[in-house]
Amino acid sequence: MDKISIPIGPHHPLLKEPLSMRIDIAGERVLGGTLRMGYVHRGIEKMTAQRTYVQDVHLIERICGICSHVHTTTFCLGVEKLLGIDVPPRAQYIRALMCELERVHSHLLWLGILSKHVGLETVFMHTWHDRELALDIMEGISGGRVSHAANQIGGVRFDLSPEQEVMVKENIGKLKAQVSGVLGVIENEPALRARTQGVAPVSADLIRDYCVVGPVARASGVDVDLRRDDPWPPYDQLDVNVITRPEGDAWARTLIRALETRESLRLCEVLLRQMPEGPVTVRAPRKVPEGEVVTRSEAPRGEVLYYLRSDGSDKPARLKVRTPTLAVLSLLPEQLSKIHVADIPVVLAGIDLCIACADR
Amino acid sequence: MKAMRKRHSLLDAIIDAVFSRPDTVAYPFGELQLPEGYRGAIVINPENCTGCGLCVRDCPTGALKLEKKSRDEFKLIHYPARCAYCSQCESSCVRGAIGHSNALVGATDRPRELIVVLKDKKEGED
Repeated sequence: MDKISIPIGPHHPLLKEPLSMRIDIAGERVLGGTLRMGYVHRGIEKMTAQRTYVQDVHLIERICGICSHVHTTTFCLGVEKLLGIDVPPRAQYIRALMCELERVHSHLLWLGILSKHVGLETVFMHTWHDRELALDIMEGISGGRVSHAANQIGGVRFDLSPEQEVMVKENIGKLKAQVSGVLGVIENEPALRARTQGVAPVSADLIRDYCVVGPVARASGVDVDLRRDDPWPPYDQLDVNVITRPEGDAWARTLIRALETRESLRLCEVLLRQMPEGPVTVRAPRKVPEGEVVTRSEAPRGEVLYYLRSDGSDKPARLKVRTPTLAVLSLLPEQLSKIHVADIPVVLAGIDLCIACADR
Repeated sequence: MKAMRKRHSLLDAIIDAVFSRPDTVAYPFGELQLPEGYRGAIVINPENCTGCGLCVRDCPTGALKLEKKSRDEFKLIHYPARCAYCSQCESSCVRGAIGHSNALVGATDRPRELIVVLKDKKEGED
């Protein structure tokens, strides 16, 4: 059968963010594909060198609209390491609580998108409704639904009041019940299993070759999670259960994220229970001593790496960000071979793309 | 029914949804309840503002402007259209003069509303 190339994107109903793909098909079989990126490149890394560290925290928050908090946390951890200041324990716990809530909302958002692509609109409605609960918690404690502005160099901007702690606990209880319902659907719903099981399996060797991280790697049996492997406080005091599955197909990637949501909710409860009293911020100098530092965090999609070089002024000399999506995207042409045309949305949704993160 | 539940794991959720009330708010016709700490309109306590310019220096979007003639004569202007409502000004202010109210800032078609004079201190005034 003749080979046909279909262009998808940069603007396409299938995609939430701009990405250009050319997919080669022969009849119903997909032969492969190529990618083109850079449509939402904003030059954020360069822009950080023109602003002060204080202003950069807000700029870096705009790298991604979903995992905004983990980006600022990783940046602040790097600056604090160069400054040699210790963040108060309560601030560390609030940072981790926000990171876990962010993971919950990111995974629920993604579960909804996948469900929509496989034709389960009911699950889409329910997961997005549940995600609002997670966003309500974050809005209640930080004042912002998506851009939380929680971090500042030296700690966090707000404290948790006893009433807010009660509100967080209540909503987490509700979320736990809802997530167990979603888990039941993923494990038992024949329509979802038929569309995802055995679709685009990725072997653990391929994951390691392409340096893929996060839930996609864990769904192929690669046991990586920075919350356990390279933890910053308070993760070093927490017992994080890293969930892996051996299958490596789209169904495993779905199940992993649902199970991780449940694990994150458990961690939120532990963080609230163990949260120490005390101040939430310390005064940080504006000028950062000369030096370079690398900090890593586990974002909802995998490892986020920040390289920061300071020349002793109040502006960074160089900031380099590595986000998890780029590694997963490089695996996409591989995943787009040996599948059917109807599976393309499932594969694309299955890897949880964040183009804004990757392009920056 | 039991067999149906086994076959359709979403059945319970669908039945619940039929009898539950909508979660959305009919804003602007219904009342919008924003949390207490919501980062809304920028407000100022004029008594505490000394025109030091710390908020202007740290503002990441350049939404604040200080027109200073002398220590006793200055004007602090806020441009809501540029503002990211990040609360950096609140963190930078050492006197607790500037901050957020939880009033929602909507879009406007009146250009005058895009410039807010937070404080206009003339010489000889307190």
